[in-house]
Amino acid sequence: MRYTARFLSESDRERVHEASLRILAETGVRFHGERALALLADVGAQVDTEAGIARIPRSVVEAALATAPRSFILGARNPAHDYALPSPVTRYAIDGTAAFAIDFETGERRYGTRRDSEQALRVFGAADMGVMAWAPVTASDAPAGTRALHEFVGMVRASSRHGQHELHTREQVPYLAEALRVAGGGADAVRERHPWSLIYCPVAPLVHDGPMLDAYLDLGALDLPVMIMPMPVAGSTGPAGLFANVTLANAEALSAIVVYQLAHPGRPVIYSSATGSLDFRSGAFLGGTPEMAIMSAALVTMGRFYGLPATAAGCTSDAPGPGPQAVIEKLVTMLPPASAGADIVVGFGEIQGDQALVLEQILVDNELAHYVERLVEGIGEPADPDFVAEIAGVGPGGNFLASRVTRRAARSSEFLVPTLIGRHAYEAWRDLGSPSMYGQAREKVREILAGPFVDPIPDAVEAELARILAAADADLG
Amino acid sequence: MTDDLFAAMRQSVIDGDSAAAAELATRALAAGVDPLAAIDEGYVPGINHVGEQFRCGEMYLPDMMLAARAMQKGIGILEPEMLARSARRRVLGRVVIGTAKGDIHEIGKNLVAMMLTASGFEVHDLGVDVAPERFVEKVREVDANVVGVSALLTTTMIGQRAVIAALVEAGLRDRVKVIVGGAPVTRAWADEIGADGYGEDAVGAVTVTRALVGA
Repeated sequence: MRYTARFLSESDRERVHEASLRILAETGVRFHGERALALLADVGAQVDTEAGIARIPRSVVEAALATAPRSFILGARNPAHDYALPSPVTRYAIDGTAAFAIDFETGERRYGTRRDSEQALRVFGAADMGVMAWAPVTASDAPAGTRALHEFVGMVRASSRHGQHELHTREQVPYLAEALRVAGGGADAVRERHPWSLIYCPVAPLVHDGPMLDAYLDLGALDLPVMIMPMPVAGSTGPAGLFANVTLANAEALSAIVVYQLAHPGRPVIYSSATGSLDFRSGAFLGGTPEMAIMSAALVTMGRFYGLPATAAGCTSDAPGPGPQAVIEKLVTMLPPASAGADIVVGFGEIQGDQALVLEQILVDNELAHYVERLVEGIGEPADPDFVAEIAGVGPGGNFLASRVTRRAARSSEFLVPTLIGRHAYEAWRDLGSPSMYGQAREKVREILAGPFVDPIPDAVEAELARILAAADADLG
Repeated sequence: MTDDLFAAMRQSVIDGDSAAAAELATRALAAGVDPLAAIDEGYVPGINHVGEQFRCGEMYLPDMMLAARAMQKGIGILEPEMLARSARRRVLGRVVIGTAKGDIHEIGKNLVAMMLTASGFEVHDLGVDVAPERFVEKVREVDANVVGVSALLTTTMIGQRAVIAALVEAGLRDRVKVIVGGAPVTRAWADEIGADGYGEDAVGAVTVTRALVGA
């Protein structure tokens, strides 16, 4: 039985929902930009245009939740990687968009480049628990005015899985739209198959970025799904209590869902979150904590409460370098959202509070994901329905080593066989050179990067994408 | 009686009680107490105590923030009388701080602003999405000697360079120390753009700023 952990009781879910509605109706939400306030005013929200604040009544929220689709497929450039939402299992995205990469050869922390993203996505392509690509690092080697475009298109090129990224301004929209039409085989194909989506993060507490929101509304013409990821940090941008911070995140998510549904009823949206807490000594953001994990899981529960596809941040770490701290924090922040039934957990490959990409960490995280998935799969139906007879046959003091059932079990998925973690007796391990999980991952990274580019895009499409980016650089860079 | 008033002012800051700090400032004015004395002998000992307790791990950031806010509230009540007397507070420095143009993230900047206030600086917070010219204007207006520019995104980080360029163009660069910070900011970036200092977190930012002004 796949186990689902409860992080919010039924009455708590109602309390979060009702408190969120109060926040939206009484405190309101600030919307920068040109379109959202007008959309909200048209449906009866109380709008203060000077302050940029809309107070959103319950009826508007309920109407939006009614039009948001309950299920859809995240398509992929390679249809073999399509991923249906909601999902009966938990799978993962690569993390992003970090400012830094830890250089694979030198270990130096430096600003990320387009090449770093390409390499990371190639490694991610070998992570069998991965279903969604993000742009892992910012393209610091691209002009600031078109950086998001370079990141998005770079992701489209380097990964044939479902890809999700962001855009920053309306001026960037025509270039992205053209690029996705070219890569996706036309506007109709992009609308039908949803091979790419957008990640949208409100600015806590209760603020929406104008240029980004306006750009995303424009991209409704291509029906790009939007993953809505509020990020309040308990103690700084969110209240310093888990229940209260979850409620704030939920309110922010609802406010975004409202605007997207008003603009394009039926546009696919994915409920998500990426909370954290304040280090009360230094003021730093903490993402690799039990508290963050619990809030992630509670917010997955809220997404399910609304009947929406539900994802969350997890597999997060504040560790300064890859190693034991990263593993502990990532495991602690993966298990709760996975056991709450998250469709996708974001994400593999980064540490230092999602600010530094480590190539081998992608594969280590994939290994951890297997462990987590095995845990939540729980105990299934007995492989041998007649196990009582088998026990009787072995009898007191016997053993099960030579049983047919045991032989089948050695090949079944009931017992996880790790890929990077070797199981050696101590001296054998020493004789092998004391291999480590990270060491094995690094060897695998080298192998992947030395191997062929998997699922490359056709040359003609590549040429078009390059032309579009060059035009964008000339106009906006 | 004045000693009791000063002791109460000190305690209001330690307790982070803005309402009490404001009420005590009003009482001090009504009693004819010199506003600078009220600050130096009332609020400042309170904030210094909180700072010491923070450094030895007995108090936390929220304690500092509440204490700073209480002190600011009290000083706000005393300010008109200070202006009337042409009195100016002794501060470690006058800081103009804001988030770079195009960036609406401000929590880190808010933390630094409050910590600097708590540490004895006079802080003028310009908010978010601040154009370089506004930094220049405010530096002139308040005779600032420190400028802090925050950015959360690599795309808005370049605004930090623009602020420094604006200060150079206005002939103010030599009068101010510039400190930069934010998630994508590094010491190397700070050096590249000609900043004087860089804070990796709020506590670090205060340490660097104090060092830059020789406090």
